[in-house]
Amino acid sequence: MIRRGKGMACMWYPIGFTVAANPSAATVKINTDGTATLLTGTVETGQGALTVLGQIAAETLGISTDDVHVVSADTDSTPMDTGAIASRTTYVTGNAIVRAAEVARQILFEAAAPLLDVKPEQLEARDRKIQVLGFPSKSISIGKVAQHSESVIGRPAIGSASYNPPTVAMDPQTGQGKPFNTYVYATQIAEVEVDDETGEVEVKKIVAVHDCGTPINPMLVEGQIQGGISMGVGFALQEEILFKDGKQINPNLTNYIMPTSLDMPEIEVELVDNYDPTGPFGAKGAGEPTAVPTAAAILNAIHNAVGVRITSLPATAEKVLAAINEQRAGEGKAA
Amino acid sequence: MATTVKDVKKGAKNLTTDKDLTAPAVKPLTLPKDNPVIYPLTLPESEARRQTPAVGQRASRPDGRLHGLGQTKYIDDLTFPHMIFAKVLRSEHAHARIISIDTSEAEAMPGVLATLTGKEIPVNSFGPTLQDQPVLADSVVRHRGDGVAAVAAVTEQIAADALEKIKVEYEVLPAVFDSLEALKDEIKVHPPHSNIYTSKVIKKGDVEKALAASDHVFHRQFRTQMVEHVPLEPHSSVALWDGNGRVTIYTSLGRITLGREDVARTLGMAQSKIRLVGTIVGGNFGGKNEITNEPILALLSKKTGRPVKCTFTRGDEFISSTIRHPFIMDYTSGVNKEGKILARKIRLVLDGGAYCSWTGTTIGKGSILAPGPYNIDNLLVEAYAVYTNKTTTGAMRGFGAPQVCFAYESQMDDIAEKLGMDPLEIRLRNAFSEGSSSPTSQVLQSVAVRESLIQASERFGWKEWTQ
Repeated sequence: MIRRGKGMACMWYPIGFTVAANPSAATVKINTDGTATLLTGTVETGQGALTVLGQIAAETLGISTDDVHVVSADTDSTPMDTGAIASRTTYVTGNAIVRAAEVARQILFEAAAPLLDVKPEQLEARDRKIQVLGFPSKSISIGKVAQHSESVIGRPAIGSASYNPPTVAMDPQTGQGKPFNTYVYATQIAEVEVDDETGEVEVKKIVAVHDCGTPINPMLVEGQIQGGISMGVGFALQEEILFKDGKQINPNLTNYIMPTSLDMPEIEVELVDNYDPTGPFGAKGAGEPTAVPTAAAILNAIHNAVGVRITSLPATAEKVLAAINEQRAGEGKAA
Repeated sequence: MATTVKDVKKGAKNLTTDKDLTAPAVKPLTLPKDNPVIYPLTLPESEARRQTPAVGQRASRPDGRLHGLGQTKYIDDLTFPHMIFAKVLRSEHAHARIISIDTSEAEAMPGVLATLTGKEIPVNSFGPTLQDQPVLADSVVRHRGDGVAAVAAVTEQIAADALEKIKVEYEVLPAVFDSLEALKDEIKVHPPHSNIYTSKVIKKGDVEKALAASDHVFHRQFRTQMVEHVPLEPHSSVALWDGNGRVTIYTSLGRITLGREDVARTLGMAQSKIRLVGTIVGGNFGGKNEITNEPILALLSKKTGRPVKCTFTRGDEFISSTIRHPFIMDYTSGVNKEGKILARKIRLVLDGGAYCSWTGTTIGKGSILAPGPYNIDNLLVEAYAVYTNKTTTGAMRGFGAPQVCFAYESQMDDIAEKLGMDPLEIRLRNAFSEGSSSPTSQVLQSVAVRESLIQASERFGWKEWTQ
């Protein structure tokens, strides 16, 4: 008989590494047509990081995402970066980019101020222009200012900066300290169907509500969440490397079972409205946490469906059926 | 003496060795007769990419477009003139002393241009925190994924065949596979060091006193398994050693700055002599955060004067790259009648596999996160990572967080069931809020766990949902 169940799991997750240095650097160069080039030492690993980083540079300079070309992943030309790891790119590299773009923007402000008869601190970068705060009609295009600064003043509009999140080392005896600068939070709720005659579990639906601070690009956050859930489903129900005498016996995709598109549940994603003052434009991160609560929610839903608590992952059909049978045997004895 | 055209031709001829000429012929590439333009490149641009302000826009990804058009170049798509291919021979045993390695028969094979063993690597160790892992094992193998020798040949197939001609003599050592067995230190993976290579304690309040004062005490042990990242793109790199003694390595690594530091250290070279270039990584999930073959390929390129490529097979990916730490987790929680958690005592044992890799970060995050996003005044978390003679466990999406979340959230439902409370209520009663104190007594900001619980429950229809 098919039994349905619901289960929830919430979680928290830190952004960046534990205490160890975690810096990123960035360089932003403004072109004479008002577009810009961002140099970053991170590597695109499929999550859309370069797009998000370009958006952060664009926002600081008052230009569009498409106006920024991102150069990455070459140690000969790009500045240092701790790398695409630990859900740190948007937060740490993003903060470095804001600072680098601010340095470049300040060069533009100082070049434009005498041309507009104001002080540099009275200027803002917006809609591809350097304009006087409160008087948007008094403006010069970013491209013209960049050209003036470079060829007349002799200061190319290039900014570099690095960022390393402030932390407090953990006490070795008690673990007390400030190991991370910030954390994200999430809840996922799973609906499952369990066949109590075979032990087979089908995940029907996952509702995922995540906090990532400001979503720099909501579409890419949604993509991360969907991908994280697919890993969570595999961790919960299917994936396991098996050993015999220290030798892996299923090191191939025939015998190592992982979810395919047919195993994916219906996914509903929402983001929590949140803002972290320490992140770039309020952003935190979204990479790893998306895979954290899925298995816990599914296992709680299995318990809700058939009343058995599976305490070791993965909850394969064999394991679930054995637990159901054990429970029935126990009930039989009690009766 | 002036160089004549004849000399240059002679030099060029030397690049093709006699071994190349005796190698089996490569099947010529055939192109379909009809070879049309497959797609137009004048596609409409995404409006969101042109908007200001840029933050908050659903801007499309330039790399996504290249993926869709088949224009993305992954490392394995790169090819260079005179490029050859490397393969690595892996250990036959989980734990053994290497008595001897004889590569002579492999070297004599037509098409084989060079071999490499660990003794030829200037600094034969690496690792992000502890440098306890050999690039190629030269004295002891500690798991079946350890490489013992490498071959470079004109085709991948010849390189693979040559591995079978390498003779390695081993003295088999007793091995330990179970993390709780390894805790006893009866069989040591890295003697004389203890198998417990890192540990962590987090203490807050008085956990024993609070457990004694609790109305209900819950205890359970939870376990998680080893899983692989399974990126679509396996690890891949190409090394080109040039005439100035500078080496360029194209690699699927996700962290090139620190990768360059590691390559510089193993080769004993200045960072300025090394260039690491990435393209687009075809899936990382934590598995491509440390060097693997890069120093081997660099040295094989130096030996042969050729660009050398190695792309892992799916088997290499499972056996020799890192995987997720299995956790054994003992959770004891003390709760009062109203469902407030008064104390939580946790013991974590992490199966570290043969080498440290990213265990430092995993044990750190695992222990800090282990109590869950809840206000608990009395805490004790003790975590131990142990060496075993199994595949090295390292960074994987979540660094220990999915493991502990499975345990703490399962126990939250156990508590709710016993107290006759709704799972949502028990969580809301204990969840962090703005300004809460974390297990390390950090004052938390931009906390959104309650909001996520309420929002998810509303979206799902938690209260209305029935079986």
